[in-house]
Amino acid sequence: MQMDIQSLLIISISAVFISNFVLSRILGLCPFIGVSKQLDSALGMGIAVIFVMGVASAVTWVIYQYLMLPSDQNLIYLLLKGHIQNPPNLVYLRTLVFILVIAALVQFVEMVIQKTSPGLYRALGIYLPLITTNCTVLGVSILNIDSNYNFIESVVNGLMSGIGFTLALILMSGIREKLELANLPKAMRGTPIAFILAGLMALAFLGFSGLTIR
Amino acid sequence: MRFVVILGLVTALSAGALALVNQITDPVIQTRGREALAAAVTLVLPGSEGGLILTHDQNGETGYFAGFRNPDTTDLIGYAFRSSSQGYSSTIQTLVGVDSSGSILAIHVLSQQETPGLGTRCQEIRRGETEPWWQAQFKGKRISEVAVDKDNGIIQSITGATITSRAITDGIRKQVHGLLPRWNTEAKGQASRPNRSGS
Amino acid sequence: MKIKEVISKGIWTENPVFRLMLGICPTLATSTSVQNAIGMGIAVIFVLTFSNLLISLIRSIVPDKIRIPIFISIIATFVTIVDLIMAAYVPDLHKSLGLFIPLIVVNCIILGRAEAFAYKNTILFSVIDGIAMGIGFTVALSLIATFREILGNGTWLGNPLFGSSFEPALLMILPSGAFFTIAFIIAFLNDLDQRRKRHDKPAVQ
Repeated sequence: MQMDIQSLLIISISAVFISNFVLSRILGLCPFIGVSKQLDSALGMGIAVIFVMGVASAVTWVIYQYLMLPSDQNLIYLLLKGHIQNPPNLVYLRTLVFILVIAALVQFVEMVIQKTSPGLYRALGIYLPLITTNCTVLGVSILNIDSNYNFIESVVNGLMSGIGFTLALILMSGIREKLELANLPKAMRGTPIAFILAGLMALAFLGFSGLTIR
Repeated sequence: MRFVVILGLVTALSAGALALVNQITDPVIQTRGREALAAAVTLVLPGSEGGLILTHDQNGETGYFAGFRNPDTTDLIGYAFRSSSQGYSSTIQTLVGVDSSGSILAIHVLSQQETPGLGTRCQEIRRGETEPWWQAQFKGKRISEVAVDKDNGIIQSITGATITSRAITDGIRKQVHGLLPRWNTEAKGQASRPNRSGS
Repeated sequence: MKIKEVISKGIWTENPVFRLMLGICPTLATSTSVQNAIGMGIAVIFVLTFSNLLISLIRSIVPDKIRIPIFISIIATFVTIVDLIMAAYVPDLHKSLGLFIPLIVVNCIILGRAEAFAYKNTILFSVIDGIAMGIGFTVALSLIATFREILGNGTWLGNPLFGSSFEPALLMILPSGAFFTIAFIIAFLNDLDQRRKRHDKPAVQ
């Protein structure tokens, strides 16, 4: 497939603004509501997620293309060529394999952060291993396949979707820090007002839906 | 090390269980897919219900179907093909039926995951009607006119869903332009055969 | 611990969506119609029940250190089974729910209950907890979907409720509608809680 800067640009803008994972696709809510109370941890979480989404996109794409699809390039087929007639169709193992790969990746990222920045490690706490259950990572891996992206497009989509997620997270935490001081009705404090905020932001981002690039 | 072995065992067992379930469900899924496609093809090639449908499915993407009125190749109704285009939030799959000149007979959106209430209106059926109003407007249009109004065509976009409308429309037009040369070649081949009654 | 207690916790007092704040992540997007919500709910009940069952069954032989990856494998297996069964036997619903079926594997309810309950309780209780939490989840999601579908589409379970002159509030079908709906439901429940607390405890100045 031709490497098209324009198509990469479209994917990027779409991932960050038009089809933002949190505000358009309603994915990644768990950490969104949980971590977004403070700007610093929101930023740290965001960077970790961007990294994991990018690497996960790359790894899952390769595994799917070369180990699961019943094509002529299927590695299992090439290895066992003498013994089996057709390339095996292992597409149904997609969910299982993807989530295990992501779990391993997150373990790895956890170890790295623990060694390089113990402060950030403590700040993120339980939310770091929770990136595994963050729907954005598994979501983008599956979306890349279903959109028929090639390798570069998948990785770009993964990274950019992560940036879109982080953007929403940062916007949210910036406002929530101020909101802590506001005088809200008791029933609204905490989670409800956070969701209202998300709703307003989603509304604002809806404005991007008319964006086209020629 | 022991942990790795246990994990490997669990994964292998899981994969085995899934392989089993897949053995049972895959044939059903494939059959349903084929049936749905066959039904859709007769939908976009009106008149082909009792006739022959030939599949020219070379590599899926550039394949198409040829529909005939009779159970032989004497009366060609037209061609049906799949158009796939990136919409606002999903890949939209449309089945399109055209006659031999490329004019549209009918279209049928197979799948989409566009914005509910906006892009999804491409499949909306108004009360009292039997088919999606937005898709019905494609009937009888010459391929040269098939573009959304904003692009100087005669296809009305869905209000608030220009991206979806344009994606489907442009996808159809590009596919027809791509496939027309092959159909013309095939039609010429047909014309030189003795039992062609002409159409 | 009695069976009744487990059931009432799952459906009401510890409702996974509104109380434990679990399970909305990959499913809020399916609350655009009650049909989708119920479909998703049934899929979740299936996965939750069977994964609770299996995990409770093997809880004594699972090494503590690698229990999370093992849970994930088991959950992913059942999610794939549901995915395949739905694709084969209810293809329209499967198409409607799309991406969100495989995403059930990262639905925090399932891993959460596996860790918090199934790993520490008997098979019977784990199964009942799975079913109860699943029902609680389905009820919650259907409630959200009811608001969104009635206000945003004028229908309920696909049946039109109002005359043709009803102009649905499109906002409700969009993501913002989901966020606002869940915000107000939680605020309402918070308010109920606070009123009850004030009732039980005489006002102290």
